[in-house]
Amino acid sequence: MVRFENVGMRYGAGPEVLRDVTFVLEAGSFTFLTGHSGAGKTTLLKLIDMMEPPSRGLVTLFGRDLSVTKRAEFPALRRRIGVVFQDFRLLDHLSAFDNVALPLRLAGRRENEYVQDVEELLSWVGLGDRMRAKPATLSGGEQQRIAIARAVVARPDLLIADEPTGNVDAEIGQRLIRLFAELNRLGTTVLIATHDRALIEGMRAREMRLVDGRLVELRTQRP
Amino acid sequence: MSLRGGANSILPREKGAAPLDVVIAVMAFLAALALGASLIAERTAVGWRAGLSDRLTVQIVPPAQSAGLDRETEAALVVLRATPGIAHAAALSQDQTLSLVQPWIGSDALVAELPLPRLIDATITPGAQIDLLALTHELKRVAPDSLLDDHARWISRLKGLAEAITWSAYGILLLIAIATASAVAFATRAGLEAHHEMVELLHQMGAQSNFIARAFERHYFASTLGAAFVGAALAALFFLGAGGLEFAGIEAVPFLPPLGLKLAEIPWLLAVPAVSGIIALATARLSVMAALRQIY
Repeated sequence: MVRFENVGMRYGAGPEVLRDVTFVLEAGSFTFLTGHSGAGKTTLLKLIDMMEPPSRGLVTLFGRDLSVTKRAEFPALRRRIGVVFQDFRLLDHLSAFDNVALPLRLAGRRENEYVQDVEELLSWVGLGDRMRAKPATLSGGEQQRIAIARAVVARPDLLIADEPTGNVDAEIGQRLIRLFAELNRLGTTVLIATHDRALIEGMRAREMRLVDGRLVELRTQRP
Repeated sequence: MSLRGGANSILPREKGAAPLDVVIAVMAFLAALALGASLIAERTAVGWRAGLSDRLTVQIVPPAQSAGLDRETEAALVVLRATPGIAHAAALSQDQTLSLVQPWIGSDALVAELPLPRLIDATITPGAQIDLLALTHELKRVAPDSLLDDHARWISRLKGLAEAITWSAYGILLLIAIATASAVAFATRAGLEAHHEMVELLHQMGAQSNFIARAFERHYFASTLGAAFVGAALAALFFLGAGGLEFAGIEAVPFLPPLGLKLAEIPWLLAVPAVSGIIALATARLSVMAALRQIY
């Protein structure tokens, strides 16, 4: 699904924020990416989502070597990835419903095909009564749940999330993790960047830790 | 609840879009004025040409002896009436001649004493061919002070004037089209800059550049169409108002034809918002695609 081989990354002439990162995410795996703030977690997620090219090394995604993949093919690859951003990145002028429906529209789905899916998903994340609300009128936790619903609504092959439970209470956090686990059970490969130890301890998932830009394998996925 | 209206609704209505709408409306107003002027010029030239192309005018310049004027006029009338192809010939009365010069030199008592030429108006049978050179010689023989005018020079100048007005209008329309495209290109770039994060998000979610370009082109097409329609509507009101003045017998601009458009000509002004919208659509698309190629 995802393969990094000796990947290094630096922004401009700055220091390397990722160094010799090598790992494989098998299809159907569930992985936590941990590390202190500034350890390079967000940069690693950006490399997976093709928003930045690596400074060196090889990144392979869905069996495609990204260094030789044409840029015109990136959108189709990106549509196979669901992303939960740390800062949510919701479109303020769209309702909760429209924000969640966006990936389905980008995939060319017709409105009558996805209305029920989107409404069910919003209800599942506890926002069934806020579908018409604009993000600015919602709390941070509610915005985060919309961001998560948007990332998973198209049932992506790969889900990457950057601190997805940072703004929600423990109960909602557990509920969202159960959603990720359910998606994983259905075949989605999940990679979650977090520093929430409680979240990790409760899961039988693999953990990779970034320390000063280097990757340390802490725990493999338990059966 | 959901997005209805396709990719354009992805883009929020920009808070600072009003100045662009005003610029587009003003340019559309000017474009519609230019288009209307060309329509009036063309219609007027056709009317003038139709009015003069089957007419001849003979002018008898007053000779030294006033008795000669009447004699030469009579002789010229005889020649004209005897010429095959001339259906009718009649001398204008003194009052008719004075009314012709009245707009230029007035009508006071002194004017009546001016040695005005005698004018003979002749109508040519439709389709008849007249040997103008022979007719001129014959007229000169019986009336040495006569001048034959077939209006060819005047018609030619009218044609030239109408063409000049029409081509000037086309030139103005072209300049306005360029200005519209430039304004929309500038606004599109500014819009891309303002919505940079949204565009980046859409890209990150797998949107094709086409999808984003479509959102921008529809957005600017709709806003330009609306603003240009307002401009064209104002121009239509102007022309209808000028037509109303004409109907009321008020001459808006002395010596020039009325500036009013006929009702049947007003729909032509709809071409202005239509073309403006197409220009905006094409410009926005090209601008966005070029910008996205540079950014992503």
